[in-house]
Amino acid sequence: MHEVSIAQSILDTAVAECLRADFRRINSISLRIGRSSGVNIPSLVTAFDIVKADTIAAGATLVCEEVPVRGHCLDCNSDFDAESELITSCPACNGARFRICGGRELDIMEIDVD
Amino acid sequence: MKLRIVKRLLEANERIAEENRRLLRENGVFTINLMSAPGAGKTSLLVRTIEALMDKVSIGVIEGDITGTDDAERIDALGVPVVQLNTEGACHLDAGMIREALEDIPLGGIELLFIENVGNLVCPAEFNVGEDVKAMVLSVTEGDDKPLKYPLMFKESGVLVINKTDLLPHTDVDMDKIRRSALSINPGLRIFEVSCRTGTGLTEWTDYLGALSVGTGMY
Repeated sequence: MHEVSIAQSILDTAVAECLRADFRRINSISLRIGRSSGVNIPSLVTAFDIVKADTIAAGATLVCEEVPVRGHCLDCNSDFDAESELITSCPACNGARFRICGGRELDIMEIDVD
Repeated sequence: MKLRIVKRLLEANERIAEENRRLLRENGVFTINLMSAPGAGKTSLLVRTIEALMDKVSIGVIEGDITGTDDAERIDALGVPVVQLNTEGACHLDAGMIREALEDIPLGGIELLFIENVGNLVCPAEFNVGEDVKAMVLSVTEGDDKPLKYPLMFKESGVLVINKTDLLPHTDVDMDKIRRSALSINPGLRIFEVSCRTGTGLTEWTDYLGALSVGTGMY
């Protein structure tokens, strides 16, 4: 539901970085989006297509890499990927003592510019 | 040509939330971010809480709504400082909005600040605003399947207030199921069962707020 404001901040950040490096056009923006970030990728792409109009990113595409949720088990010391943060036990040893250490990423990694 | 920039987008919100938190703590303010679906009873709970505590604690309120001032008027009628935020369509409050609202609240005179978030069981849970604790309200008429259908808010909240318990006889809701599923998502969740309409259970809730603020000078 909040993808428009997120698309706007992606656009603002990318435009600022592009102009700061003395370039004039953005061709693509590469993102890493965690599965627990609360961002719906198709909605984000649609929102970005709306907010980019009449900017130096008007022809830009979003390249979204989805990142899994990652956990670390304090019982068996394993690192694991998960579908969501809402797991109740370590998938390797079934232990209940684990930490979630990734999956909320919402990062701009690079922009392709001219 | 590729420009490698690596920027965390939610970082801006987190940074402002941290500034808000520092400002609030410097002023000895304990802050509760109150969240729920529309109509669960956030404002009713606030009114009841203020009535119970206002002689012992100085309270302030930030009201977040998409539009309108109804909620702020209900709080204003009790004579406590209130700021109405209108998000003009946005589905949640973010830290930047709260930073602006804090400029309009006399922080020095407030010990307990409630931030009533936009009625929405999804997005508010994803944005820290600088609160000490997130509290959510679930009304029994919403159904006992909600913890597992909207898990993030139950996971992020420290407190769950189950409201409208006076309506239980008129529903098929399984209170144990609400508790069990909420605790399976968040084992540390504190749960209160209240009826803002009849007043049942409210003393436990207001006592808890008092205990929370031990050390901040309240009471």
